[in-house]
Amino acid sequence: MERKKTPKSGTEKPGKIDFEKAIKELEEIAIKLEEGELSLDESIRQFEKGMQLAKSCREKLDEVERKIEILQKGEGGRVSGKQVDVNGDSGEIANDDDLQGSLL
Amino acid sequence: MTGDSSQQKVYSVSEITRSIKRTLEGRSEFNNLWVRGEIFNLTMHSSGHIYFSLRDDDAVISAVFFRHANRSLDFKLKEGMNVLALGSITVYEKRGGYQINVSLLRQEGIGDLQRRIELLKQKLMKEGMFDPGRKRPIPFFPQRLGVATSPTGAAVRDIIKVALRRYPNIEIVIAPAIVQGDEAPVSIARAIEELNRPEYRIDCIITGRGGGSFEDLMPFNEEIVVRAFYNSRVPIISAVGHQVDHPLCDDAADLAAPTPSAAAELAVPVKKDLAGEVDYLMIRTNNAVSSLIRGLSVRIEGVLGRRIFRDPFEIVNRKEQMLADTVNQMLSGVKGRVSYNKNRFLLIPDIRMIIRNLINIKKHSFVMVLKAMEQLSPMAVLQRGYAVPLDEIDAVIRSVGDTEVGRLIRLLIQDGTLRCIVNSIHPGGDRGKKKDA
Repeated sequence: MERKKTPKSGTEKPGKIDFEKAIKELEEIAIKLEEGELSLDESIRQFEKGMQLAKSCREKLDEVERKIEILQKGEGGRVSGKQVDVNGDSGEIANDDDLQGSLL
Repeated sequence: MTGDSSQQKVYSVSEITRSIKRTLEGRSEFNNLWVRGEIFNLTMHSSGHIYFSLRDDDAVISAVFFRHANRSLDFKLKEGMNVLALGSITVYEKRGGYQINVSLLRQEGIGDLQRRIELLKQKLMKEGMFDPGRKRPIPFFPQRLGVATSPTGAAVRDIIKVALRRYPNIEIVIAPAIVQGDEAPVSIARAIEELNRPEYRIDCIITGRGGGSFEDLMPFNEEIVVRAFYNSRVPIISAVGHQVDHPLCDDAADLAAPTPSAAAELAVPVKKDLAGEVDYLMIRTNNAVSSLIRGLSVRIEGVLGRRIFRDPFEIVNRKEQMLADTVNQMLSGVKGRVSYNKNRFLLIPDIRMIIRNLINIKKHSFVMVLKAMEQLSPMAVLQRGYAVPLDEIDAVIRSVGDTEVGRLIRLLIQDGTLRCIVNSIHPGGDRGKKKDA
């Protein structure tokens, strides 16, 4: 049995940021600036980069849209996703009839 | 029958029963013994105690399974079920009967299952399936969560509830699976495989079910399921509710949670925490730059506070005035004495030169300070609402000659940048320049 591979980061869409990496980088920038040993030019560059990272991170957090899908086997064995409604705050599935079956 | 009761000891019922009780209960082999048998006459009393009998082909024994002991029961008792009971023989005087007081009940056949699991475990371990080194970290921030479980059980509801509470806008894809019975192993493996398809863009999978009896959880000990966990391209969390023995799939998963809810907590970050972290780092970055700017501002204000910078030309003008006065005095003093004092008069241009040079030196140092300030000031002024213009290669535009009409430039302001196009250029002042976004 082959050892399974980790998904490659290269498969990510262009423009998509890795939140974890971005927030780490932002932290490094904050620390570097706090140490105060950078030249003014470099400080400005880092500051600008930091603000961009923070903005991307905030955008990333709002990027996804709440969606609950259930996979269903349709005609010809093709599997498709069907959206399921969930009650606002309780997180309860609104309609039990939406939930059925298996992929077998 | 002789029946001479005067010759023999006569027991009361209580006495003989007590004696039997002592005899039976005192025998060590009647304490903590295993009895195999089939359950019948099962009564679940409302007090919580369970009464039944165990039988085989030739005999019957009563059994009592008290509430405090039967709490550990992890399967449903049924009439006709073959079980192994651990207990001690006790005598119940009031009914004149003996019984087994059960402390632990196991389903017959479980032993075989456990042996099978152990063998499978050894085999898969040899394949390296359980190596701790191959466990991958669960993504820090999964945007699309895959859930392979029964669509109707408590597990899926718990996972959805916990996930949405922590991250209100997360996306969840449910791959329905049968998690109990003969079809379960194939169904679970199939659901995991489906969620692994790249088109679903799943970042993290949770697979499991709520707690149940040993037999209920058996599918998660099956080879096909363990292999599906192992082969999952997407990091996978095992979420099988269990109290004692963890299922084999836990060992092949990247992370094992004791319940479906716990799995959702491990997989999904709290959005508010993440947003707070970003804000906190933004504030730290801002503060660091602000204090740098404040430090530089103080230095610049200190230099500018000196008189020469408050009104540099006043000094130059005064020197020139002084020079002019001196020259006039000299000229008037030498008037009429030109011929006889020719040599002294000829010295005057030299004095003029000396004073000029002096002024030039002062002017030069003033220009030097201005240049130094130019290097220091951009960020300081940003805070007061000014902007630093940068060209395409991020060099500061210092002069109208550094750019051209139609060029794209960026204006760095204190909290970000503006992209602008140079509309027109007006040399000789900073008021006429206009930029259109």
